[in-house]
Amino acid sequence: MIDDLVRETRFTTFDGALSVATSHQRPDRFSHLELPDIGVHRIPRGGGYSYSAASFGENALVQEMTCFNRFLEFNPEELTLKLEAGVRLIDLMEWALSRQLYFPVLPGYPLITVGGCIAADVHGKNPYKDGTFSDWVKEITVFHPQKGYQLCSAQSRSDLFAMTCGGYGLTGVITDVTLQLAQLPASSIALSRTRVDSLEAAISVLSSSDADITYSWHDACHGSNFGRGIVYNGRWYDEGAQIQPMRFRPMTADTRASLRFCAWNGLSARCVNTAMILRSRYLKRASVMSILDASFPFASNVYFHKLFGRRGLSESQMLVDEDRIVGFLEALQKLVTDMRAPTMMLSIKRFRGAQKSLSMSGAGYLVAVDCYRNHRTDDFLHRLDELMLEVGGQPNLSKDSRLPEDIARMSIASFSEFERDLFDYDSERTMRSELSARLGLL
Amino acid sequence: MLLSRDLRDTAALANHLTLKYEVRVSPLAFDLCSEPLCFDTIDESLLDHLPLKGLLMPIGANDMNDAVGLCPEKLEYISTANYLAPCKLLNHYLPALEKNAGLIAGFGSVASARGRSRNAAYSAAKRALDSYFESLAHYSAKRAFSSQYYILGYLDTNLAFSQNLLFPVASPDRIADVVYSRRSTNGRLFLPRHWYILYRIMQFLPWTIFRRLSF
Repeated sequence: MIDDLVRETRFTTFDGALSVATSHQRPDRFSHLELPDIGVHRIPRGGGYSYSAASFGENALVQEMTCFNRFLEFNPEELTLKLEAGVRLIDLMEWALSRQLYFPVLPGYPLITVGGCIAADVHGKNPYKDGTFSDWVKEITVFHPQKGYQLCSAQSRSDLFAMTCGGYGLTGVITDVTLQLAQLPASSIALSRTRVDSLEAAISVLSSSDADITYSWHDACHGSNFGRGIVYNGRWYDEGAQIQPMRFRPMTADTRASLRFCAWNGLSARCVNTAMILRSRYLKRASVMSILDASFPFASNVYFHKLFGRRGLSESQMLVDEDRIVGFLEALQKLVTDMRAPTMMLSIKRFRGAQKSLSMSGAGYLVAVDCYRNHRTDDFLHRLDELMLEVGGQPNLSKDSRLPEDIARMSIASFSEFERDLFDYDSERTMRSELSARLGLL
Repeated sequence: MLLSRDLRDTAALANHLTLKYEVRVSPLAFDLCSEPLCFDTIDESLLDHLPLKGLLMPIGANDMNDAVGLCPEKLEYISTANYLAPCKLLNHYLPALEKNAGLIAGFGSVASARGRSRNAAYSAAKRALDSYFESLAHYSAKRAFSSQYYILGYLDTNLAFSQNLLFPVASPDRIADVVYSRRSTNGRLFLPRHWYILYRIMQFLPWTIFRRLSF
């Protein structure tokens, strides 16, 4: 019967860079999850919003976990919620908000699954205050075809827990998770905007911010306007309004790439960036929005991603130490100017935490650079990798579909430790993806 | 009360329904294809949920190799899962549902429109179920309970995912909403509704054309 449940599907990374056709299963019950031959290489998949091919690869069965989306247990005293890994963030938040609770670490798109968030150890709108996703995970059940179901937490089987958070599915399929929720302070967020003329000015504002949500956006086109931007600071605000369910049209890697051509280029990027800056002058200094709108900005604003079209986009994220960030940003500006790089926009967030497994965390500033694709893109990203290595930065593997193995080995502090632990845990290397092959973790 | 072969699945779904909709749900492991079919365990568990007011039977099984000439074991399995077991379950609880003016809902398939070389046993079993529910509707016409029969088109289940189908798939949640909203009515309905037209076209397609089709 298992043949009935496996299809051949072509998967594409969200940035549109990589596409692979491979076998695909979408189990909706435990027996289906366990059915395939235990010797088959496989990899779990959540919503499919990673920019890197972490959830598919050549000759690996993709086990899409979106039907494992049930809420299992709630502890009202400890505010912990046990749920299956395929629950989407929007469903988690809508359930929690109706009980005056919320989950603090939310990446920008509502259809990302909880399992995917753990596998990539994602961050939210203020990692300096809230940490990364795994900081809010109490317990995980991991299914491995040869080892069965394994319960792990920071206290019990902590080695497996540490490898799984930020382990990109290489330890097994996360089936259920216990999350720590928090009391909802208010129903809305008051988001204020501060215009800045340079990246250094943004660092100064971000470093002194004690807001609940804080990040910046900048014009990254080469030229005199490079670095102009807006720092967003959000604070809980109770206007007494009831939180309305979010309405949006789902975007997938395929629908993102529905446009045949890329509308972003030097001219269009400059025009839109200038319009953004001008618009900020006429907007109210602070706007009030629901926590869902503030958490998932890309749900209602799909044009940024869609306009990259079929050719796709390139993003590179790096976490740079606080002491070296100003020097890094100066060098970045010089690199963009010298190469006339195809950069469009850039954003910065302040971080706090400890790096582990393949995740990106630590004290410093996260710099995310978005580029449209042209003949200079690969060369620019390669030079950016070198610059990151010079300042001891860390890459974000989930946001970069091309980061080479040597750069990852040199820049991720616990790479060798993760590799050793992973090989001790699973010498067969049952779980495989394009990402694991690219990083030499086979 | 939720029944399925694997308690892990039904227990997870029961917890989900309790947490999300604040309803009391009991999961029970039960295989409708087991022989002999004995309802004692269900009856015992139902004591906590009396009176019985409804029986929803989204039951079925399919096989990729289902075609004319299927081996006897698979033929029996498909016939039992899609026709005999729902009828046995229905018959067992009919007196209670009649007494409590309850609801019986069965779920068929558009595959039953015409017999094809593929899905031969499945479509035959669903057509038999269709006929049985027509009899039930006739029986219920002068009685207090409700009888409904839904003929389902493509659904977003793990049989249809990632397939290039001629028509879009419908969400099972949407189907559940329709069934709930029509819980006190009688009748037969195609879901999604455009399948009514396609079903009729299939039925009235002349044999000379139908025999040439390959699907």
